[in-house]
Amino acid sequence: MIAPPPAEKLVEVERSRRPSVTFVPADASGVAQIVIDRPDDPVNAIDVRMMEDFAAAIAAARAAAPRGLVIASGKKNQYVAGADLSLLRGGTSQSDIEKASRSMQRVLNDLAALPFVTVAAINGPALGGGLEIALACDTRIAADAPNVRVGLTETRLGLIPAAGGTQRLPRLIGLPRALDLILTARQLAPKRALRAGVIDEVVHPAVLLRAAIDHAGRDPKRKPRGGATVVERAATHFAPARAFALRQARSRTLAETKGRYPAPLAAINAVAIGLAKGMDAGLDVEARSFGDLAVGETGHSLTALVMLTLRQRKAALEGLGKPRPIANVGIVGLGFMGSGIAQVAAASGFRVRGRDRDAAAVAKGLSTIRTLTADAAKKGVFERREAARITERVTGGPDLVGFRSADLVIEAVFEDIATKRRVIAELEQVLRPEAVIASNTSALPIAEIAREARSPERIVGMHFFSPVHKMPLIEVIRPAGAAADAVATAVAAAIAMGKTAIVVGDGPGFYTTRVLSTMIGEAFTLLSEGDSIEAIDRAMTEFGWPVGPLQLVDEVGLEVAGHAGETVAKARGIAAPTIVNALVAEGFKGKHKGGGFYRYDGRRRTPNPRVRELLGAPTHPAAGDIAERLTLTFVNEAVRCLDEGVLRSPAEGDLGAVLGLGFPPFLGGPFRYADAQRHRIVTALERLAAARGDRLAPTESLRSRRPFFTL
Amino acid sequence: MPRVLILGGARTPFVRAGTEFADLDVLDLARAATSEALARTELDPGQVDEVIFGNVARPVAYHNLAREVVLSLSMPTRIPAFTVGLACASACVAITSAADHIAGGNADVVIAGGSESLTNVPLTLTPRLARGLIAASQAKSLPAKARSLADVRASDIAPVAPGIRETSTGLTMGESAERMAAMNAVSREDQDAWALRSHRLAAAGWDDGRLAREVGPVYLDGHAVTADNHIRRDSTPEKLASLRPVFDREHGTITAGNASPLTDGAAAVVLASEARARALGLEALAAVRSYAYAAVDPADQLLIAPAYAIPIALGRAGLTLDDIDLFEMHEAFAAQVLSTLAVLEQNGVGRVPVEKLNVMGGSIALGHPFGATGARIVLTLANEMRRRGARYGLATACAAGGNGAAIILERAA
Repeated sequence: MIAPPPAEKLVEVERSRRPSVTFVPADASGVAQIVIDRPDDPVNAIDVRMMEDFAAAIAAARAAAPRGLVIASGKKNQYVAGADLSLLRGGTSQSDIEKASRSMQRVLNDLAALPFVTVAAINGPALGGGLEIALACDTRIAADAPNVRVGLTETRLGLIPAAGGTQRLPRLIGLPRALDLILTARQLAPKRALRAGVIDEVVHPAVLLRAAIDHAGRDPKRKPRGGATVVERAATHFAPARAFALRQARSRTLAETKGRYPAPLAAINAVAIGLAKGMDAGLDVEARSFGDLAVGETGHSLTALVMLTLRQRKAALEGLGKPRPIANVGIVGLGFMGSGIAQVAAASGFRVRGRDRDAAAVAKGLSTIRTLTADAAKKGVFERREAARITERVTGGPDLVGFRSADLVIEAVFEDIATKRRVIAELEQVLRPEAVIASNTSALPIAEIAREARSPERIVGMHFFSPVHKMPLIEVIRPAGAAADAVATAVAAAIAMGKTAIVVGDGPGFYTTRVLSTMIGEAFTLLSEGDSIEAIDRAMTEFGWPVGPLQLVDEVGLEVAGHAGETVAKARGIAAPTIVNALVAEGFKGKHKGGGFYRYDGRRRTPNPRVRELLGAPTHPAAGDIAERLTLTFVNEAVRCLDEGVLRSPAEGDLGAVLGLGFPPFLGGPFRYADAQRHRIVTALERLAAARGDRLAPTESLRSRRPFFTL
Repeated sequence: MPRVLILGGARTPFVRAGTEFADLDVLDLARAATSEALARTELDPGQVDEVIFGNVARPVAYHNLAREVVLSLSMPTRIPAFTVGLACASACVAITSAADHIAGGNADVVIAGGSESLTNVPLTLTPRLARGLIAASQAKSLPAKARSLADVRASDIAPVAPGIRETSTGLTMGESAERMAAMNAVSREDQDAWALRSHRLAAAGWDDGRLAREVGPVYLDGHAVTADNHIRRDSTPEKLASLRPVFDREHGTITAGNASPLTDGAAAVVLASEARARALGLEALAAVRSYAYAAVDPADQLLIAPAYAIPIALGRAGLTLDDIDLFEMHEAFAAQVLSTLAVLEQNGVGRVPVEKLNVMGGSIALGHPFGATGARIVLTLANEMRRRGARYGLATACAAGGNGAAIILERAA
């Protein structure tokens, strides 16, 4: 269920008269087809009309009584990408949503009840409701093509599968694998799906329809077995084994979601009831939970985030110039960051040339790239041969030989302005004039880095997040002097690398580092007021942040974090906290550099007692709402970035915060959170400002009560 | 006719078989040389029209090594590629084919090279065992499968290494070289002296950076191989004299010290039409002036054919031996080099001044990955011609079967 709403929906164009689903009577083979092809929608997103047409097509098929039936898509490389998310947007009531779920369940029950063999011919993404259609068929054949992915992705939206997915998947592949797929919302490539038992056969795209027709014409009707092994079947159908598996899934889910995300537990519940009390009872729970979740705040937030992410692919390029074509990418500096960037660039199909100071450093970087790729291949991200090609696309050397053909060069050298300027001067000697130079930095102003450059207009910032292969965000920095085409090229490269790109202004700390540093600065203030290290970090992780601010500083390294903090504090005219420098002076430089706010003894982590001694203030028992104060500091600073024009839009602010900094996704991002709880947030900030200082006063636009999003 | 330029190139370090590149196969090596050649010529792979590679010991896995180079480097898939074989002069054929395609107007930019892994030589089965296995795989029933293998004998189980003996004479390369030494009265002392010269000049070439210019590091798991590993800086006439002859233990003169070693490595050069090079703003090292292949009866002097190819190439270029400023001659054996010089003189082609020959050593010191050597000598010659501002240069290689190649380069501008 991750399809973006088609743009046409928004402007309410007159609907095409062509049906979304057509019944095609049997030909000489005796096999009929149902062809799904929603007009004016590139991805076959499921809407009410499609379900109505589907019901009619199934009725026609039943009446025609062919030997077999193939459910195919009329679109090239697209099956059914899920429900049309605009169904879920504000205004729709819980009972309407529940009703929609029940009517889709009925249609798919009708499909499953057909007396002849049904085969899904999957030629593209079959996600959410798309896979549920396929699960209602007897057999699923998938094309071996890069665009083909199957999965029940609803929990990513804070929802659950609501058209029988929680019922049919466990009955098909067994409870353990089904729960894994539903709870992780994983999308499987065809061969993985085949191994998981979701797909019955994988064939070349050109053979897909013939294979599906062959199966529909000759397979017997069959009953799913509930797993490939005895153990899986026992966990599915034998009550005590099932109870054990469910209990484990529940406790694992609770530990991971800290109770902030209701959907995974609801999915487990629907699966459990369905297997215990029968399909009808399970479908009933499914529909009711779906209605609840869809109108819940968490569901809204997560759905909104997914929609923002999908829209950002186009929105990121709006108002910029024309991206230049990119085939060859140069990377300067093959440390952990540079290697990660090179690997991601190569994986997206660019030829990559890397450079580091000597052959040994190059060898180390290339080795990191090989390891990253091999690890991903083991996890099934790439097929083995594709992994080999990715590694082979990267070459390197100790000099800038081979950089002349680069279309984009990303420098990822040490965060030091003189070093970066030197690299840029060297690059300017060899690059073609149209090549774009991107500086990977978390805080150094790009205009400063580019100040001595001969052609500063081609220099932009690309702030990657670590580890690069996992983090989904790239913050593209647009200095005032940058050419619009250069910025667009960096954005297009980020999108090609499979990342979400946001475009921000060139202020100190840009957007992400600025809001994060401001929040961490406030955490230092709390510390000096007497809150304990553990109390601060625990409060934040319990609130839904992935890691506490002080632990984060240890992991980033105290020197880097301290430098970013000073840059940002100076720009805002706030005194920078002294504790970090004091710790660094005593040799506490971070997790792997002698400890920091914590001491690290093997796997054990204990608060560093020196912190309290340096601060010279005693710890007081937890007082006030730590998580609220820090999170609101973050929100307030994010809004200030929008007010100052560092951010182009609230959408980019939310994406940057959630995808780059781990802002709790169930809140949807700082701007969505501010919209949802405006009154409480403004009041709380005013109270905090009165008690703790003006820096906490809500910004003008927060006070204005004008919502950031108009939906 | 378009003039053919050599824009540049690169080779991997040449290392003794079974050492640092033991885990790399012929494609890994070819890829390393090609990507480095592209980088050093600052050429966008999109500009390449064709890739030609030479290779001798061909792994069964690669029906067309050159094409695998294109695909594995993610060069544009539209680039056609083919693999050629002329034993130790294979890469010469790659280069002269490239030159012909460009001169004939059929291509503008061609990568030509060669690659060899003598660590990973493909072993095959005896014909009887291979026939039996294929028949068994086609047989329908188990008894029939068993019958298919009935003729196989115990001795067939041992795999067969690729031919080291001349098919027509039954002599190994070394035995043939021993004959040449005897026929041309090349002494053991002269051979050892030539080998020592090769090592000393190669060491000097590395020390002053001239050889480093043509070599691109190969990055293995976490470390880089940056240099050739066969050059013996500590070699002395005494040490060389102490080695036992290998091929004729009684009367022979050829030892491991005065022959080229089994080597792993690859080399690639980039050739382009003068017009395209100008359009791309790329400078050239040298231009291809002429070339010739010649062949002799393997039963006579197996490796003497360059002595016959050289006058033909000179004639085609309208030059004499005296016009050549720099020579690169493949050193299969010191005996073969000295025999070739002697025959050139006997036949009245002229005397090659040794101070202009193999000025940074040759295959005896640097190593000899069969398929790659032809590209190595052309690359070395072109680089050194450019450095010296030489007008004409000559590269030659002898090959199994009695073949020989000679390529004449001239100053690009």
